[in-house]
Amino acid sequence: MAHTAPKKEKGMTVFRSDRHEDMAAIVTSTLVVAFVLFYMAFLSGPISLKAPSDGKILKLAVSENAPVKKGDVLLTMEVKEKKVTHGQMEEKVVSKDIKSKMNGTVVNIKATEGSTISKDKDVVMVLKPEKGSLP
Amino acid sequence: MDERNVFKKILSIIPGLAIMVLTLYGLRTYVEPWMSSAVILGQKGWMVKVLHLNYILLAIIVGMLYRNLLFGGRIPSWAEEGFRTTRLFIKTGVIMLGSLYTIQSLAKIGGVAIVLILSFVFGTIFLVMILGRIFGMDRSMIGTMGAASGVCGVSAAIATSTAVKAKPSEVALAIATILGFGIVTMFISPIIGKLIGLSDYQFGAWVGTGILNSGQVLATCLAFNPTIAPGTAVAYGEIWNVVRVISIPFVVFFLTVWYWRAEAQTEHISLFTILKQKFPVFVLGFFAMTLLSSLNILGEEGSSTLQLMRDTMSWIFGIGLVGIGAYIDVREIKAAGGAPLKVGLVAGIAKYVIALIVVLLFISKEANF
Repeated sequence: MAHTAPKKEKGMTVFRSDRHEDMAAIVTSTLVVAFVLFYMAFLSGPISLKAPSDGKILKLAVSENAPVKKGDVLLTMEVKEKKVTHGQMEEKVVSKDIKSKMNGTVVNIKATEGSTISKDKDVVMVLKPEKGSLP
Repeated sequence: MDERNVFKKILSIIPGLAIMVLTLYGLRTYVEPWMSSAVILGQKGWMVKVLHLNYILLAIIVGMLYRNLLFGGRIPSWAEEGFRTTRLFIKTGVIMLGSLYTIQSLAKIGGVAIVLILSFVFGTIFLVMILGRIFGMDRSMIGTMGAASGVCGVSAAIATSTAVKAKPSEVALAIATILGFGIVTMFISPIIGKLIGLSDYQFGAWVGTGILNSGQVLATCLAFNPTIAPGTAVAYGEIWNVVRVISIPFVVFFLTVWYWRAEAQTEHISLFTILKQKFPVFVLGFFAMTLLSSLNILGEEGSSTLQLMRDTMSWIFGIGLVGIGAYIDVREIKAAGGAPLKVGLVAGIAKYVIALIVVLLFISKEANF
């Protein structure tokens, strides 16, 4: 009776060698990065700007349908800045300008002056990025 | 004929790959959110906050369940080709991991601290090498445990494993050891820190150097001081931890040379010749990603572009981790015995204690940044 040897599990790669696999990983990551950058620059839709920190909106510096450039002030917030110095927690209320990280257009403003917003939860405004710029 | 073979090969990959992708989708879309909201022992998100169960660990665990329970001990032939793409995902994920870090973050911490951290990283690796030899561990296990203990746990173990030909069970042992150790230190570190009067800066420096897993560094610092602000433990802990993580490519390179040097001597081939074949070229991609991140080419910090880049990285990594889990045979873990656990614990404890002593002796109460 023929003895059938147990089937050996194949190695952990579909490539001919580790070097081929390394190069495939480099190519794959390059393609992924290129795709993400292309998608965000040319295909992504409007971006929601969420509250960057807890605080109160003091002033909205833009209006709906206004064009914005990278670095333009979008709104001014009142926030509590905390810092530990010499073992003591210091807290002070400051006003902070929130600037645009991209070129684009203000599509919609969801928050109002005087409203209190929570970090990463409340959407302040919706921006449409300019084609070719990274939001 | 070649084109048909390639096409056939691609088709054969689909079933196993689909299992990996759908598993991760289920974990991230349903399981992780449920765990974040589930109340256990009176605390919401206990599984996330205390056990640090996230998609990384869940992916490995589910992969292990597939192999050891569902598939009865081996990956079925119809899915095997798909699971063999695992390392491609892992290596791609490690390359993209570089996007989380910037060279500027290194500049913040200063030269002395960088030297200190790197001394601990490589000092721990050397200690693991010595202990591993004493306990008779395989060289691949020594390399993986050394990276896991010296750097930051999961990412380092996985990145190194491909270079030192580690078995998935060895990776699992390294990860399990350092995570288990990390959970204990997560609880006792804040108590020790308060008892001996460490400042936020000193505590962050100690934990950023001495605790083995990045996620646990963050949690431990928050347990010491729950405030997230400049000058708090979590701010300093994360900066010190970043230096450790950025050392991954150097650690992988070092361990590759160490591992293959023995083979070069046995085969009477020059080390250079062996390294030309074996050097893990993909870690150079990690450097490239860190450079791109530093130049804001991947998007500015806080931008939607960088967020999407990092989300994509976590998906790619996660898919690979399901595959890693599926290659872990529980019988191999049992066969390894307790040696890796002992070595990992001794190295972890030594690093933890010595880091505290060094911080007390040389790190001032206040940072100069």
